[in-house]
Amino acid sequence: MALQATALVLLVLPLAGAFALAVLALRVPRWAVWAIGPGVVWAAFVCTLILLADSFLQDRAHDFTYWTWIQSGTFDLPANLLVDRLSIFMCLVITGVGGLIITYAVGYMEHETDPSYARFFCYMDLFVFSMLLLVLAGNFVFLIMGWALVGLSSYLLIGFYYWRYSAVVAARKAFVMNVIGDIGMILAAFAIFVNYHSLTFSGVFAALPRADATWVEIIGFLLLVGAVAKSAQLPLHTWLPDAMEGPTPVSALIHAATMVTAGVYLIGRMHPIYDVAVWAQGTAALIGAVTALMAASIAVVQTDIKRVLAYSTMSQIGYMFLAVGVGAYAAGFFHLLGHAFFKALLFLAAGNVIHALNGEQDMRRYGGLWRQMRWTSVCFLIGSLSLTGIFPLVGFWSKEVVLGDVFSKPGTTYFPQALWAIGFATAILTGFYTGRMWWMSFAGRPSADRPVEHPHEASRVMLVPVAVLTVLTAVGGFIQINAGFHPGYKLVEDFLAPTLGHLPWHARDLEYIPTAATLLLGGVAFLAAYRFYVSFVWRPWSGAVPRLQRLLEHKYYFDEAYDQMFVRPMDAIASGADRTMEEPVLEGAPAGVAVATQAGAGALSLTQTGYFRTYILVFLAGVVVAAVVLLLVRAF
Amino acid sequence: MSLPQVVFWVMAVVAVLGGLGVVAFRRPINSVLSLVAVMLALSVIFLELSAQFVFAVQVIVYAGAVMVLFLFVVALLGPVRERSTGRVPFHRGVAAVVVLAFAGLLIAFITSAGIRFRAPEQASLAVFGTVQQIGAGLFTTYLYPFELTSILLLVAAVGAIYLSRGGQAASEVRGRELRGPGAAPATDANEKEDRRA
Amino acid sequence: MPDYGQIPVGSGTLDARLILGLAAVLFILGAVGVLVRRNPLVILVCIELMLNAANLTLITFAAQLHNLEGQLFALMTMTVAAAEAVVGLAILVDIFRVRDVDDVDQLSDLKG
Repeated sequence: MALQATALVLLVLPLAGAFALAVLALRVPRWAVWAIGPGVVWAAFVCTLILLADSFLQDRAHDFTYWTWIQSGTFDLPANLLVDRLSIFMCLVITGVGGLIITYAVGYMEHETDPSYARFFCYMDLFVFSMLLLVLAGNFVFLIMGWALVGLSSYLLIGFYYWRYSAVVAARKAFVMNVIGDIGMILAAFAIFVNYHSLTFSGVFAALPRADATWVEIIGFLLLVGAVAKSAQLPLHTWLPDAMEGPTPVSALIHAATMVTAGVYLIGRMHPIYDVAVWAQGTAALIGAVTALMAASIAVVQTDIKRVLAYSTMSQIGYMFLAVGVGAYAAGFFHLLGHAFFKALLFLAAGNVIHALNGEQDMRRYGGLWRQMRWTSVCFLIGSLSLTGIFPLVGFWSKEVVLGDVFSKPGTTYFPQALWAIGFATAILTGFYTGRMWWMSFAGRPSADRPVEHPHEASRVMLVPVAVLTVLTAVGGFIQINAGFHPGYKLVEDFLAPTLGHLPWHARDLEYIPTAATLLLGGVAFLAAYRFYVSFVWRPWSGAVPRLQRLLEHKYYFDEAYDQMFVRPMDAIASGADRTMEEPVLEGAPAGVAVATQAGAGALSLTQTGYFRTYILVFLAGVVVAAVVLLLVRAF
Repeated sequence: MSLPQVVFWVMAVVAVLGGLGVVAFRRPINSVLSLVAVMLALSVIFLELSAQFVFAVQVIVYAGAVMVLFLFVVALLGPVRERSTGRVPFHRGVAAVVVLAFAGLLIAFITSAGIRFRAPEQASLAVFGTVQQIGAGLFTTYLYPFELTSILLLVAAVGAIYLSRGGQAASEVRGRELRGPGAAPATDANEKEDRRA
Repeated sequence: MPDYGQIPVGSGTLDARLILGLAAVLFILGAVGVLVRRNPLVILVCIELMLNAANLTLITFAAQLHNLEGQLFALMTMTVAAAEAVVGLAILVDIFRVRDVDDVDQLSDLKG
């Protein structure tokens, strides 16, 4: 009973915070925003810890039904929350990492005006609520509600600087692509309802064993559309780099740690479906791998530090998709956790740099920050090494688990191994672009174009979350050590096993060879970037292969292709409809009514001649007419 | 012919001639006097029709007070020219048509083809039309109309007083109201340009 | 069927139709006057003529039907006529104070 209330409180607190900030936005002082904005998220974190403790003690999942929402004939839809290992895991990430980021934002957004400041935290709290609803949902309706609300929060926050045209366009782009995913989700819900006559997770999963495999495949693909859109994988990925228009804490929270991982969560939560729909699952893995490689290649030529991190996120989520796509769910979620740590760390540290340099994001104007922003540089370095997958940081462990599990998956085809090869190549590229990022920004000499001569280190409220995330990145990896090394403990896998099951296959004996190779070559690539970009010893390969450079700079021309295929036709249809239908009909009709009324009134006003004698004449004529009518009536 | 019928015919002739005089005389004073003649003739006919009280009221109030009021106004306004400004074309023709139609209707109503009289109600001939009976009717059954008529008279009196408030300032104000904002004082020249196209 | 249109008056009878005919003639004369004359004062007088004709009709029917309501109504009509004459004349006097009216068509400020 208390647990049920705790789960509800966990969910509702951020919403209450958002509501309070929305209502009080114009009158609330700064300190109140500091209390409410991060406060509700930390309170939600405490509730999550309570649920976590209970999960360890009781070791069972809870399906809490709060009331029956829809009752229609034989169909019942309860308003239920599913509190099991997986949802608690996600809630920890959302509220924990989210709390750190929102606390950071207290300092980062300090230059905003008071209403804007409150608006930011209102939207952030709204986002936290939406994400919690998504992961705690016990039925498809709540899931889709959370899904859509997360998209809304993302739109609001990307377009936070609404007076900037580029921000508004980016927000709209993100929202439209998210809606494509929403349609996939809704169609999947329709298919589920038609086939299983239930929309709760428990009901659907129970009905799966006797289900028709074709329909399950279709449902799997439709859900995959939603996951791909939300997690910015190929081919619905173009919105994520533009989403960097939002403030840096937004990029950290939504577009690194939580929202974009919703797709991974979806596949994990729907694993009973995907265990049957093997084609859909394989497609997920393929999409993940290809996206990982493609995004990593684009990241090599990006000059905006946040875009590098955005493509890096896309790439790492590709790894997660790869993992859950082959069935290594625990690996995927471990990488999700680790990625949340180091990617949030990287974004927040980058935010420190951006904040110190008055909003400059172009890495070519950085350089030499090691001397002036020591703490940030160190934290950023640790984050970068983790991203590259250097021992003993969490990135090493999680990436190693993913690649190892993929490598070791048995099967008749060598499909997993082919995907592993793509992942391996991606890892090397990851090292390269990450190294480039760190060397260009922090090493070498200060660029001549740097906007601020002597940047200050960040304030304490901005440094502490970064430091916490650094510590987590450093030591967080030790909770899951893959068996490839030695019979290690697998805390993550064991934790999630009641929901996701254990890994069905064991590691191959030679798994440590690819692991070592990945580690080595990644590190080499990291160092090699120095020679390319800082000491300029080796000619930048961009000069050697200009066409390839252009291809990468244009992000494989995806934006241009989508523009031609979808945006322009829609524009033409819209303006055509405007010309032929909206203007004549929708504007013409009221105008026409007005004109007709005026004409009628004008005509009628002619009867008001102003002459007394005509009025009398009309009276008399009227009397005559009335008398005639009376006569006729009486006659008949 | 009996005496009542003779009296009626004489009075009818007087009335018709008076009516013609009302319509035909150029000078308004003559029209008003013709109307007085009509009223007196009608009052005699009322008397013949057992409407004693109405006869008295017609003579005293209508012919005696209202017509005197008309005479006062005629005297006040002085000689008035009557000139056509030709603003409403075809008025005479249409008016003729309508009036003829109306006349035709009335004739149709009145001739034995049109009208069917009902039997008279039983009422005491001795007191019919007497002051007592009229008083009884006015103050019992028809009290509401009586009272409303009183209020109407009050309203008319108040209105007349307001409208005819004397003094230069009042008439100037009302003159401005009548002429409209920003208009020049009324003269014949101004009236001519008021003509509609 | 007895002819109810004959009203017993003293030693003889009066034919109601004749009286009604007289009233009709007077009414039409009044209507013609209202339509034809241009002097507003004369128009008011013609209106009074019409009202008198209506009164005659009322009294006639009161006598024919032996119903007092006709006479009472006639009294009311007279009152209303008086009130209307008073107000109309007051308005007319007001107008004449400002400008000379040759033709009632000149009083067309309420046009449109």
